[in-house]
Amino acid sequence: MEQVEQNKSPELRSEELVVNMGPQHPSTHGVLYLELRLDGEIVVDCRPHLGYLHRSIEKIAENRTYIQFVPFTDRLDYLASMNNNLGYVLAVEKLLGLPVNERVQYIRTIIVELNRVGSHLVSIGTFAQDLGAYATPLFYCFRDREKIVELFDELCGSRLTYNYMRIGGVQNDLPPGVDKIIKDFIQYERKKLDEYNELLTYNAIFLSRTKKVGILSKETAINYGVTGPCLRATGFKWDLRKEEPYLIYDRFKFDIPVGTMGDSWDRYKVRLEEIQESLKIIEQAIGAVPEGNPVAKVNKVYKPAAGEVYLRTENPRGELGFYIVSDGTTKPYRNKIRSPSFSNLSVLPELIRGLNVSDAVCVLGSIDIVMGEIDR
Amino acid sequence: MFRPIKVFFLSALSLLIGMKVTIKNLFSPPVTLDYPNKKQPMKKNFRGMVDLKPPACVICYQCIKICPTAALFLSHKTVEQDAKKKNEITKFTFNAELCCFCGLCEEVCPTDAIYLNQMYEVSVFSHDDLLSIDLMDPKKYKHLDDRTVNQPEPNPQ
Ligand code: SF4
Ligand code: SF4
Repeated sequence: MEQVEQNKSPELRSEELVVNMGPQHPSTHGVLYLELRLDGEIVVDCRPHLGYLHRSIEKIAENRTYIQFVPFTDRLDYLASMNNNLGYVLAVEKLLGLPVNERVQYIRTIIVELNRVGSHLVSIGTFAQDLGAYATPLFYCFRDREKIVELFDELCGSRLTYNYMRIGGVQNDLPPGVDKIIKDFIQYERKKLDEYNELLTYNAIFLSRTKKVGILSKETAINYGVTGPCLRATGFKWDLRKEEPYLIYDRFKFDIPVGTMGDSWDRYKVRLEEIQESLKIIEQAIGAVPEGNPVAKVNKVYKPAAGEVYLRTENPRGELGFYIVSDGTTKPYRNKIRSPSFSNLSVLPELIRGLNVSDAVCVLGSIDIVMGEIDR
Repeated sequence: MFRPIKVFFLSALSLLIGMKVTIKNLFSPPVTLDYPNKKQPMKKNFRGMVDLKPPACVICYQCIKICPTAALFLSHKTVEQDAKKKNEITKFTFNAELCCFCGLCEEVCPTDAIYLNQMYEVSVFSHDDLLSIDLMDPKKYKHLDDRTVNQPEPNPQ
């Protein structure tokens, strides 16, 4: 702690303190360093400092062929690796004008929605943990996510960095008997969601910690480019799966949950309801997977014609965009990644100004950032 | 005066409802594993350490070209045997420090010579043991075998 701004006025005034929260703080979800200016218990200002997890992934992309970059997208938002894989391969497929068959579309939809469920479960669990519900809800969420991770492990051989999507297809076909596993999981998860409602959502202590804390207005959210559940919590109905359907999302019936006020509780609730909607999509898709060969060959060198492409997809945390410029060689000239967490984090100072320190932790937990994709 | 009492009772009630959930879970069977004592077998296509079946390798350099982290190194020489020219591997090493276990090398190999095995407990005491693992040496993972291959009874789950 360091003392700033000497108190020069003769009146009795408390002095501002600078508190360094992070980079090694358990509630900053990675290595984020927040410089908090406190007046007593109240946060006067906050400045997030980035760069502790910088691996220059965008530069790496310029030195890798198109297929070689897929494993690196896993390391952006490591809780939703499948969704990142998807965003990248869709962008490259658009650049190449490469069609993919129906089975691939269905498999991709099921897998990314499962990953969305897993990612939201982690975010709910860690949010509860940040509020002080020590470990219990977190481990319940991890127990449920484990079923998804086990399935992905069987599918592609890895539990976190999947590297599953391929340009023009996927790595492996669905294992036999997967229908039953996924259907069982949907039944199981629906029951567990009721449990979370009892344990957290309508718990009076949880409500008093999160209701009307960190209210984000619709205008501020749009000005800062906030997307994903944080934007929908403000009541703005914007989901790329509905607005600009990619894959085959236009074939399924699902709703977009929105909040009313844009406070921390709304952000949490939108995530919880999105799990329900994702389960609905998976349920509709799993029965309709057509026959075909989804596996794409890897040792092929892609040489897209010179040009550029921008494609955005709805990640669990918001809009993930890939802007790829090709100069006609086997490697991209430029690969710019628009990561949702970066914009979501930039709105944090607006939200926590004037709140207590303990509420700052609550707001940070509710916007659910992943440092891997902020620093890239 | 009245509000704090109401809040107190509401919170107490919420705690009881929450307790109901935790108590229900307390008596359900455990989902975790007593890890170092019990081990779960890995899934069939689990991506562990990179391994090689040297006779199957046709020295096509596909795995070297695809590796995104340049973790593999291969060199060969041409020898003359019975008046026929034949390629022979002089060095084939694997750098586990660089490898990101993406499995691309396994996928591109035309003869399935290179593959990712089931080893997952791969910590060693020195970085040098990981930098240049000689894939031609059949005993390269001997020190890891005791931990991962000769494991106790697989978990019945
Ligand atoms: S698994 Fe991936 S990173 Fe590791 S050696 Fe094979 S291609 Fe290279
Ligand atoms: S791809 Fe397979 S056959 Fe070709 S050099 Fe590598 S290990 Fe040998």
